[in-house]
Amino acid sequence: MLNIEGLLVHFPYDYIYPEQYSYMLELKRTLDAKGHGVLEMPSGTGKTISLLSLIVAYQKVFPLEVSKLIYCSRTVPEIEKVVEELRKLMEYYSKQTGESNNFLALALSSRKNLCIHPEVSSLRVGKEVDGKCHTLTASYIRAQRHSDPDLPVCRFYEDFDAVGRQMPLPAGVYNLDDLKDFGKRNGWCPYYLARYSLMHANIVVYSYHYLLDPKIADLVSKELTKKSVVVFDEAHNIDNVCIDSMSVNISRRTLDRCQTNVETLQNTIQKIKETDATKLKMEYRRLVEGLKEANVARETDVYLSNPVLPDEILQEAVPGTIRTAEHFVGFLKRFLEYLKSRLRVHHVVQESTPQFLKDIFDKVCIDRKPLRFCAERLRSLLRTLEIADIADFSAVTLISNFATLVSTYSQGFTIIIEPFEDRTPTIANPVLHFSCMDPSIAIKPVFQRFQSVIITSGTLSPLDIYPRILDFRPVTMASFTMTLARTCLCPLIVGRGNDQVALSSKFETREDFAVIRNYGSLLQEMSAIVPDGIVAFFTSYMYMENIVAAWYEQGILENIQRNKLIFIETPDAAETSMALEKYQEACENGRGAILLSVARGKVSEGIDFVHHFGRAVIMFGVPYVYTQSRILKARLEYLRDQFQIRENDFLTFDAMRHAAQCVGRVIRGKTDYGLMIFADKRYARADKRGKLPRWIQEHISDGSLNLTVDEAVQLSKHFLRQMAQPFRQEDQLGLSLLTLEQLESEEMLKKISQIAHQT
Amino acid sequence: MAALSEEVLLVVKKVRQRKQDGTLYLMAERIAWGPEGKDRFTVSHLYADTRCQKISPDGKAKIQLQLVLHTGESTTFHFSNDSSALKDRDAAKELLQQLLPKFKKKANKELEEKNRMLQEDPVLFQLYKDLVVSQVISADEFWANRLGDTNHADPSLSNNKQEVGISGAFLADIRPQTDGCNGLRYNLTADIIESIFRTYPTVKEKYCENVPHNLTEKEFWTRFFQSHYFHRDRINTGTQDIFSECAKQDEQGLKSMVVQGVKNPLVDLLSLEDKTLDEGYGVCTTLPSTSNSNRSVKESSNSAIIKRFNHHSAMVLAAGSRKGETPANQASETSNTDGNSRDSVFFQPPVKKVKLKEAIEYEDLQRENRPKTVALNLKKSDRYAHGPVPLQSQQYTTSQDIINSVNYIQHEMVNYKPNLTQVLSSTTASSAIAALSSGGVLMQAATQQAINQMVPSEVQGELKHLYAAAGELLRHFWSCFPVNTPFMEEKLTGHLEEMLQTAYSKFHIWQTRRMLRKT
Repeated sequence: MLNIEGLLVHFPYDYIYPEQYSYMLELKRTLDAKGHGVLEMPSGTGKTISLLSLIVAYQKVFPLEVSKLIYCSRTVPEIEKVVEELRKLMEYYSKQTGESNNFLALALSSRKNLCIHPEVSSLRVGKEVDGKCHTLTASYIRAQRHSDPDLPVCRFYEDFDAVGRQMPLPAGVYNLDDLKDFGKRNGWCPYYLARYSLMHANIVVYSYHYLLDPKIADLVSKELTKKSVVVFDEAHNIDNVCIDSMSVNISRRTLDRCQTNVETLQNTIQKIKETDATKLKMEYRRLVEGLKEANVARETDVYLSNPVLPDEILQEAVPGTIRTAEHFVGFLKRFLEYLKSRLRVHHVVQESTPQFLKDIFDKVCIDRKPLRFCAERLRSLLRTLEIADIADFSAVTLISNFATLVSTYSQGFTIIIEPFEDRTPTIANPVLHFSCMDPSIAIKPVFQRFQSVIITSGTLSPLDIYPRILDFRPVTMASFTMTLARTCLCPLIVGRGNDQVALSSKFETREDFAVIRNYGSLLQEMSAIVPDGIVAFFTSYMYMENIVAAWYEQGILENIQRNKLIFIETPDAAETSMALEKYQEACENGRGAILLSVARGKVSEGIDFVHHFGRAVIMFGVPYVYTQSRILKARLEYLRDQFQIRENDFLTFDAMRHAAQCVGRVIRGKTDYGLMIFADKRYARADKRGKLPRWIQEHISDGSLNLTVDEAVQLSKHFLRQMAQPFRQEDQLGLSLLTLEQLESEEMLKKISQIAHQT
Repeated sequence: MAALSEEVLLVVKKVRQRKQDGTLYLMAERIAWGPEGKDRFTVSHLYADTRCQKISPDGKAKIQLQLVLHTGESTTFHFSNDSSALKDRDAAKELLQQLLPKFKKKANKELEEKNRMLQEDPVLFQLYKDLVVSQVISADEFWANRLGDTNHADPSLSNNKQEVGISGAFLADIRPQTDGCNGLRYNLTADIIESIFRTYPTVKEKYCENVPHNLTEKEFWTRFFQSHYFHRDRINTGTQDIFSECAKQDEQGLKSMVVQGVKNPLVDLLSLEDKTLDEGYGVCTTLPSTSNSNRSVKESSNSAIIKRFNHHSAMVLAAGSRKGETPANQASETSNTDGNSRDSVFFQPPVKKVKLKEAIEYEDLQRENRPKTVALNLKKSDRYAHGPVPLQSQQYTTSQDIINSVNYIQHEMVNYKPNLTQVLSSTTASSAIAALSSGGVLMQAATQQAINQMVPSEVQGELKHLYAAAGELLRHFWSCFPVNTPFMEEKLTGHLEEMLQTAYSKFHIWQTRRMLRKT
């Protein structure tokens, strides 16, 4: 039981890290102020449990102030981890207070992870599961079943629909598997049960998209209460998620598929007209009356909601030009032809959305207004036509979503049409990128709607850039250090080879033989002295491929194999997963292994290398984003004009947050230890180094700014020898690990107040 | 001679050794050479003593074969038959190649075993020094008894032995060397070949298929090293290559491994993301297009290298752990291949639960509530493994039985009251106390202890060593009875007597030296 400025918090451990206490203090202040916060806390210092403990306590004490916690995380394993920690906390609560827990906490994920229907869930690919589910549960299909009982049915949904709604999910903590178990026991669909239970749950854990992607958020999170605390964990990439959720790409393949979609629509309309013309008439009448939804949409009918943010959706009747089904299909055809003609360019075109709208009006006389209704009109049509497999119509849905987006937003977006890929200028592969440049657009409703939004991660430096690019005003911004009884991380900047050649991945020296060789010898030397696992990150996949090939030719890889097995990330996720598992197996059985991987790749974002799975991480080069990309250039320009962020500042910030992510993978706690080797001389510069998280920065000594490979090896040997000594709990107590009594001492509280570094 | 009863595997005439013509005999357990016209061998080496054989390179004038012994000595045979020298040599080489590894392992194992025993047992080491190093008895005799013990226990032991893994870099060890005349030389040893076979079972298959009917061993390996298979970065051009099939099979193996998926959900990158949108949504990250058509030759060779490294590492890893894990693997395979979710639902959660638990654990935040334990330090692990009471497996058939019996024992223990008055009769007890108190019968030794303390410890030590050595000799002596073989008799009369004599004189020397020093 902790006392955080008057709030009694149950903390489910015997000891506490000082920074956890400090973190809770800041968090409490943020909640008190009903404002937003940006908090950076090193990975492995128990951020999640601190967050949960404090917010749950807050909810219990002030149920009227904060009625719901919405916890967003990036990946499915992360979500499950959060729920497990929550379970631990809740068990502790009921043990301490002696009363049974009346909290409902649940995780939500896509159908792929929740479906228990034997056939549907065996599909395993998310899109297919969604589509198949829809063919079984859409309201009109279920209506058809009244006349034709032989149609396939999902009994889990039927049972849920019949009785599940009357009985709220009993209080407790439900992870994805628990939901499935519960669903199986009661014969209810876990997915819809979870979605339904979101409304009255005290704690919801799900992924970013459910809140940030308007197409999904509108379906799932629309009715969540305003008095919620929203937490974005692992939020260092939140701007990219925001941008992703508003962007669309159209390739020639999409258009071809769209063409067949439109033809199918036309045929279906024709057929229905002959058999059941009243249906279309009914729809028309409803649209005239200005009902936003032509039919009452049941939860199961909608596949994707409107792609634009709720407050941009027009609350008026669908314009006359697209009201009848035939007109609308004709409209779609025209739009499609227009897009096709746009893709037949031979040079790169970049234009703003108003330019695009003007052009489409000039060429094919399509107005802005009907475009804005396109997405909604299509949904209404698909429902009216009672089309079973909506997944088949993903292409036309995409096009209509694009139409709605492009006509809604005049700022913050850009349209780029590229006739070919930069690398292969001879092969025509035209793509229309409709790209959002302003992350604040997607997240704005979240900030407006919910009283507190906490953005937190292990690496959020420099803190002040996030409020700028997301356009919000936080009440607290703090970066916490890691109190350590022993310095368990050892960041080294290797700037030179043993032959004094400057090491760098910059473009000019990318092909330089000497640099590649020196990188090789760095890895080789490290493989000889570091126990168990080493993870090495390269700046891009191409770069890694080239270096691996060069190392292979020079025989460096063979020498490394004498010390450790080598595993390499590939573009194929399944192959990489296997390599990863084998890598862990090799670390586990003592043979030791090296994993070569890519910054910004899936491994660098989602996989932790705890303890012996990663005793050293080597970052070869500075992971700048591919700067020649036009989308990036447009975004940089936008940032400069709108937010006064200089291009280089943003690029460096972006590179450094990814570098920090990569090296941060090895330290997952205070009992863990690991080397962090930055192999590029540019890391020594103040503008780069200064953008690393404080908890890494403060361990870079001036002496380790420009090391040669040999010097780095010497330092590493020393470090590893020290770390290999037994490390007991007593060593930490009082320094980086506190008992309740120690925590309450005056002196310690003073110390703790210095942990949080306000900006 | 004893040699007559041995099976002679190969006889090669006209072999010179030390400039002397003679005949080379390869027998089941040894190789021997006798000069022409004489019926005894002047050279005879057990295979077990041989470390390796070396042959003169092709094209040299002298066709030779050299045997290198463990002791470091070497013997060179020169095949001097003009017409068939090369063939003779190769025949001998091939045969040796088959024979040597068999004995090598045994020899190595024995040596290792001896070494280990000496290191672990200081008393034995001292005995070895006293008896063997000072040449009282020969090393063979010394080990004759000792190893006998271990050999009996061996079958069970060797089964438990951990299989030796494969070095990840075994292919690096066969780096080709240029031989100066526009060719490459690969050095292959039996170990490397075994590594290749274990890592790439398909190569072994090919080997069994083709050698020796279609290809000689040498040709096989030459082709192997020339093949696209070995140099994965070279783009496959010729399809007549016998290894192209291996490559395909490997590819398939890799694919099936990939399809099987991973057991640990935390590293499964496929199910990491919780997003089911089409590829059309989101910012297009310029992915390298997966279609092979527009990839340059260099790029695809690069990715082949990467694939090959992943495959190689996976195979090396699998070869190391193949033996122990097959049952577990099979079990999981069956659960996986069924594929449909119902099965995987049953099998998945435990792994997942455990991994999740591990992931959220903060060991240092929790008070250590385990009782403090003392690390178990086993001197002789085999004795620990073969405990005195073998568990009768049929006695405890169900876990319920075990639980019941544990409960029963617990119950008994709770109710157990030591009945101390009934342990000894009072008279025996008092007599025991009397015997144990000073002046009692059992305490007589107290005065003798004085001597024990008077003598300096080094003298004691030396005496102990002499005593142990003499004891060992006596053991040898008594082990000769009953004398039922002529060898025993010889040992007994000739050489053991001599030995005892030596031991006695050693003791005498020590004694006089002591006396001298004392006075």
